Amino acid sequence: MPDNQELIRERLGNLGLGTCREEEIFRELSDHVADHAAALEARGVPRDAAVRAALDSVFNWPEFREEILSAETEEAIMNYRTKVLWLPALCALTLSNVMLALIQVFGPPPHFYWFYTGKSMQPMIAFFVPWLISQPVVGAVAAYWSRRAGGALRHQLLAALAPVIALLGLFVLILPFSMVLDKHVAHNIRLTAFLVLTVVWVLLPSVPLLIGAAPFLRKPRPQSS
Amino acid sequence: MIAIDTKIKRGSGELAVLALLDQEPLHGYEISKRIAQVSGGVLQFNLASLYPLLYRMEKRGWVKGKWEEAQSGRKRRNYHLTRNGKKQLAPLRAEWGMFFQALHRIAGVAHAG
Repeated sequence: MPDNQELIRERLGNLGLGTCREEEIFRELSDHVADHAAALEARGVPRDAAVRAALDSVFNWPEFREEILSAETEEAIMNYRTKVLWLPALCALTLSNVMLALIQVFGPPPHFYWFYTGKSMQPMIAFFVPWLISQPVVGAVAAYWSRRAGGALRHQLLAALAPVIALLGLFVLILPFSMVLDKHVAHNIRLTAFLVLTVVWVLLPSVPLLIGAAPFLRKPRPQSS
Repeated sequence: MIAIDTKIKRGSGELAVLALLDQEPLHGYEISKRIAQVSGGVLQFNLASLYPLLYRMEKRGWVKGKWEEAQSGRKRRNYHLTRNGKKQLAPLRAEWGMFFQALHRIAGVAHAG
């Protein structure tokens, strides 16, 4: 079995702090793991399991690495969540909206589905099929970016679904305002519109976003040098 | 046992470490063990929560890590409270005291002492 220092180095990778300081950190952390494992061994845990348990007390090694680097430079250049969630999510949101705008300008017209509303046929749902087809790319980019930055599975998923989460938030915000401010449209129609919009612009695009993200969704691996 | 929120733990961690090191120099594992013992297990620091805190405090000049030989002959990195760290202790104690008094007034949170 490799020594503790090696196991920690595997998980933290190269810290870029200079050989001397890195050696000191790895040695110190390895001492802590050894003490923790020894305490567990004293309680009857087999040696290998004790070392594993001591190492597993760190839930997220990439985050731990970032915390060490941030402490060592005493400045959070970019906090962990920004790197693994907000930036990939913003990228996905921008990419998705740019694609929609381009398709609206240069692409084919949307497919309208008509419903009988009691008096006449009304266009209720507009599908931008080319936009839906383009969404796997958005999901893939966001999930890959988040994973590369060391994001957990939930960060990768949230980043990939950012375009639809943003739209859902927007709809949820608009609905109560429209109910209070716009008195010309009946509430039941507004609720139906909310449901239809949620299905067409949130649930439906979630599928291609997830399809695109799926090949890249993985638990974060320890970073190596 | 009640799990303390990470942000509260981080904030209180500086005071806990300074207060322990004011008594004697300790290495990282001993610091985490003492904090857990003295707080009755309410405050627990593991590898990931303790060392970034110690490194940050060291960068600020509040503590100083030195490799020293233990009685067993093994070299350990012991943390010593610096003069600057000692200066931080009183204001931090006062700050947390005021914080708990304010919480007590607002929410009826009383300390166990």
